[in-house]
Amino acid sequence: MKLYGNIITNNAEEFGNSHMESPYLPSLGIIERSIRVSEKERLFTISPTNESLLKYRPGQFYMVGLPGYGEAPISITSGPGEKKIELCIRAVGNLTNAFHTLRKGDNIWLRGPFGRGFALEELEGKDIMFVAGGIGIVPMRSLLKAVLARREKFGRLTLIYGSRSPEEILFAEEMDGWASLGMDVQLTVDKSAPGWKGNTGVVTTLIPKVEVAEKNIIGVIIGPPVMYRFVILSLNAKGLGAEDIYVSLERRMKCGVGKCGHCQINSIYVCQCGPVFKMSELKGMPEAI
Amino acid sequence: MENIKDFKYLPEKGFKGLVKSLLSDYKVFGTIEKDGFPAFGELSSVEELVLSSTPTHLSAKEFLFPQREVLLKFNIKKATHEPVIEARKQVLIGLHPCDIRGLNLMDRVFAHGVPDPNYLARRDQTIVIGGDCMPDDYCFCKSLGNSEVIEGFDIFLHALGKGFLVRTGSEQGKALLSQYAVTREPSAREFREYQERKAQRDSSFKASLEAAPSELPEIYSRANEAQVWERIGAICTGCGSCNNVCPTCYCFDVKDEVKASLVEGERVRTWDGCALEDFAKVAGGHNFRKTRAERLRHRFNRKFRYLSGTFDSLFCVGCGRCSRTCLVKINIVDVTNEIIREYHNK
Repeated sequence: MKLYGNIITNNAEEFGNSHMESPYLPSLGIIERSIRVSEKERLFTISPTNESLLKYRPGQFYMVGLPGYGEAPISITSGPGEKKIELCIRAVGNLTNAFHTLRKGDNIWLRGPFGRGFALEELEGKDIMFVAGGIGIVPMRSLLKAVLARREKFGRLTLIYGSRSPEEILFAEEMDGWASLGMDVQLTVDKSAPGWKGNTGVVTTLIPKVEVAEKNIIGVIIGPPVMYRFVILSLNAKGLGAEDIYVSLERRMKCGVGKCGHCQINSIYVCQCGPVFKMSELKGMPEAI
Repeated sequence: MENIKDFKYLPEKGFKGLVKSLLSDYKVFGTIEKDGFPAFGELSSVEELVLSSTPTHLSAKEFLFPQREVLLKFNIKKATHEPVIEARKQVLIGLHPCDIRGLNLMDRVFAHGVPDPNYLARRDQTIVIGGDCMPDDYCFCKSLGNSEVIEGFDIFLHALGKGFLVRTGSEQGKALLSQYAVTREPSAREFREYQERKAQRDSSFKASLEAAPSELPEIYSRANEAQVWERIGAICTGCGSCNNVCPTCYCFDVKDEVKASLVEGERVRTWDGCALEDFAKVAGGHNFRKTRAERLRHRFNRKFRYLSGTFDSLFCVGCGRCSRTCLVKINIVDVTNEIIREYHNK
């Protein structure tokens, strides 16, 4: 399926378009578990009532809603192939605060999955440097799970994850498991706190220290909008070019199906063509990064 | 080259009969006069129709893509919802070539990729009868090759001194004409009168672009740093009127409205506009188009460049509505011509 210039989407044909009838009609999910994972974030485990919701790639997202509150795009944090959906949601507004009141047995509405996720086959055989900032770790976790599930297919793996402070680090309890599967996990915080033994400073302070084998490394960046430009420069300095860097972009979205216009960057719609892009696909789009 | 065989002659009386019949069978909207200006409105009699006018202030998009429409109804207690498609049979009379061109583009947008059932159902229920117009100071459809349309309507009316030359654009249009009106082959004199009127209209355009439409995407692609953005950004009030009146601005917002009982509600979509400050703002507060200059650059590019690859067409139809309505007189022709000149001087 060809959409928007040369960017191919992989959701429509590959995933059978479960949402074709009215793309605005959500499916019901039942909350199985809601746990507070930091001051502002909760991790929800959701049983979908519609199996097709589970056919997702890492990097894809749902439009998640509650009747009376509306919808927002939320990244998937569970790994592909899992039987339950996990969403990690930061409370920042009306809708996300309402999500935080949900408990076991409550309903949540989901549409999707939308967009183009990561194509794992493109990453196979490569070293990968994952650079996550803040809640960028949420969609990154889905990718990490997918990669670690087939660890032998990939080269050297490094995760550089920056948080504002030690207490804002998400999924800290999973990091040892990731490391034991053969990923170098490096954490850094902007502001240290008593007991913090890790690195202090922004993520770009750690990038120069990563050993890079020539021409066989991919960088993946997911973080707050301000982070990209600096991380890209650091990766460029390590010899990674526009073909070697993947980003996942955040945008306002209201429909998920390339109509409402909010996520548009030049000629592309992030909800359909992204949110995952290779940097080379964003060439000539000054608003992208 | 136009051929007399493409047309039928519809006498004045036959036209009135056609409209009367449509009025008895359908909801009919047409170009009428409101507060001294041409506007679209619901028609109750054929006498209200004003044909061959200057453009209406608002475009015809509201009849297919209403400013507010319900997408689904929900019940919070029962956690249920049902899709809503608000389409009913309707006739639109007097749409100018720019309006029809706009609808053709909207048709492509809402059928593209994941189709939008709400728009497409409404479009399916709509009969379009086009009509001639007269350009005013802002019209520049001719520059974009849009001063005539050959598709996207069921019937098109070309007014003569007496009666009309009509063209049909669909099987439905042919069927309507044969069902509701008696037409005949036009005489050579009637065809000549049509051509003279057309030539007169063609020579009445005052605004024009200084480049061919096919050159505009490339010209705009070189204008990211043009000074004009800062200049018009400095005077733009960010009111979004340009988005409202544009026949091809289709961006929307979706929000929930809950009844006072707090049990039932509706998910509705309403028009939104890229000129508005919050349009590209995300939850954390970051605004991807923070300045008015960036927002205007986005809007102009959307009309002349961004969508041209996907839909094989410019998205400006040349109706001049954005310029006509702008509170601070930002003129799409002047801005584009400035960009064209800068491109050639580089």
